[in-house]
Amino acid sequence: MLKINNLHASVEDKSIIHGLEMEVKPGEVHAIMGPNGAGKSTLGYVLSGRDGYEVTEGSVELDGADLLDMEVEERAQAGLFLAFQYPVEIPGVSNMEFMKESVNAIREHQGKEPLSAAEFLKKAKAAAKQVQLPLDFLKRGVNEGFSGGEKKRNEIMQMILIEPRVAILDESDSGLDVDALQVVADGVNSQRDGERSFIVVTHYQRLLDYIKPDFVHILADGKIVKSGDASLAHEVEKSGYSFLGKKYEEAEA
Amino acid sequence: MSQWLNEVIESASATSDFLAPFRKQALSSLEQAGWPGRRNEAWRFTPLTSLEKREVKHVQQAASAQPPSIEGLSAFELVFVDGKLATDTSQLATPEGVTIASFDQLDDTQKQAASEVFGQIKPARHIFGLVNDIASTQGIFIDVADGVQMDQVIRVANLVTQDVDAHTRILVRVGKGASAKIFEHAEGTVASMSTAFSEYAIAEKGHLEHYRFAMMTGQAKQIGGTHFQLGDESTLNSTVVGYGSELSRLDVDIIHAGEHADAKMNAVYLLAEGELFDLHSNIEHTVPNGTTEENARGIVGDRARAVFNGRIHIHRDAQNTLAELNNRNLLLSRRGIINTKPELEIYADDVKCAHGATVAEIDEEALFYLLTRGVNRSKALVMLNFGFIQELVNKMPDAAIRQWLLPKLNDRFAQMEVK
Repeated sequence: MLKINNLHASVEDKSIIHGLEMEVKPGEVHAIMGPNGAGKSTLGYVLSGRDGYEVTEGSVELDGADLLDMEVEERAQAGLFLAFQYPVEIPGVSNMEFMKESVNAIREHQGKEPLSAAEFLKKAKAAAKQVQLPLDFLKRGVNEGFSGGEKKRNEIMQMILIEPRVAILDESDSGLDVDALQVVADGVNSQRDGERSFIVVTHYQRLLDYIKPDFVHILADGKIVKSGDASLAHEVEKSGYSFLGKKYEEAEA
Repeated sequence: MSQWLNEVIESASATSDFLAPFRKQALSSLEQAGWPGRRNEAWRFTPLTSLEKREVKHVQQAASAQPPSIEGLSAFELVFVDGKLATDTSQLATPEGVTIASFDQLDDTQKQAASEVFGQIKPARHIFGLVNDIASTQGIFIDVADGVQMDQVIRVANLVTQDVDAHTRILVRVGKGASAKIFEHAEGTVASMSTAFSEYAIAEKGHLEHYRFAMMTGQAKQIGGTHFQLGDESTLNSTVVGYGSELSRLDVDIIHAGEHADAKMNAVYLLAEGELFDLHSNIEHTVPNGTTEENARGIVGDRARAVFNGRIHIHRDAQNTLAELNNRNLLLSRRGIINTKPELEIYADDVKCAHGATVAEIDEEALFYLLTRGVNRSKALVMLNFGFIQELVNKMPDAAIRQWLLPKLNDRFAQMEVK
């Protein structure tokens, strides 16, 4: 479904990702762990097409199509979703209007009829309820005045509404207490249907107790240095990233 | 001097109503004032060249026009068409304690009351204010007696349908503990020249909910002012909406004359291609313990120009003042121009005063966020930019006016191109 071949990317001429390989098949959950500065967030931005994140080599295919050749919105319409580590506040644009526009743009791309206001409202209410966001959050400006945890839940709510092919969760666990973590994880797990794939980017093993990965990859220095099953995450939890060499021991202290 | 001003003075000199002594005084001030050129700071960014050589036009044939109807708005409707009051104010079924009357229908007590407001609140030297002083034979006096709470809105529409010089005036008294909602609404597109000034005296504990929509566009020149004087513990909530035209200028003065008054003003302007809009805001804290919060936001289209001058003047005795003024602008095109200028004059030492002015292009981070959700770029830009002013529009207290305005602004915005 998502194939990343020999990906090299740089930000402001600084090479961050060099030679990343990864293949995500339908229904799989891949966790990407790694020390700070390994390029974890960069990967999400590169895949979603953020300005300033330049791919210098390699290719990425989504369902056989060249992802890197698409505009940001086209990637989303093709089924890629990025849950931000730091969701942006946009006062004045209501969450509801935003999501309706989003869902209908994606439906249009899929050749489906747009949802009516009533149909959409019903879905939005259900999604808000699922992530335990009060309904008035739908009417508020996008992330406007939301707490850190509310922003993360709002990301998951958007994912539920958008129904992507592949969702990248960029540190969706950071700054969450256990209850909020459970809500986020439940939201994600509810969307696992054997078809939809996930790339869970996280610094800590904790989230992976709630969202069970099929594969765990360690990202360091812009490439995957080690892959394994869920037990790899536990190994990291126990002994940190020391196996990566001295360079990372300090960062993890 | 300009040809236009000379003609205005000539044609106004015959006026002889109860305001004649004041008009005479204004005339002599006007003759001394002289025509403001580009070197005059107050008009530096707003050229008056197109007005200088204008020939004064009088109404040839009276037209009739209706202001846009606003669903769900419960209002007393007054309409100026081409500068003439088209509403017979004697037919209005006003509640007890409320006077809404044209200048020529006032009794002696009302004349006296109106005289006490006329020219007393607006700045003495504003040249177009003086023009309006001498030429505004068409005017309305509104008086809300002490303690009277008016639920209904009083809408005064100013419509221009032909090439004419129109000078209209509104004088308002809000009594002690009284409350009123007044909506000044100007529309028109044809070549013309309007001046429209209003003065509001809000007494102790009085409350005014106010709207001024300067929505003349195209070749309709409009220069006006709204001037508030706040008594002790009075409150003001005002919303200004500005469209640009060939020449569009609005001066707003908020004068804290009584202590513990609270003023809130939100202004939005949305300037389409080639339009000009100039908002001069002046906040005067002359006494202690007043609060003012003003937010002005504008979107400026291709080859359009917005001017915002935000002055806060805190007098020596005005201790414990809280004044905030924020102006944010968004440029849709590199060929748009924004001149925003803060002017802080603070002579008291125990005050909190904040002033911010920004000019920005699109917030790239927010745009990226919307795009990652599959929203098309053009739509995302509309949502972002419009969101920027919608935030203020949403704060308007009157739901009916708000619901009427939002789609209007949305349509206007949708026709503006991001270049």
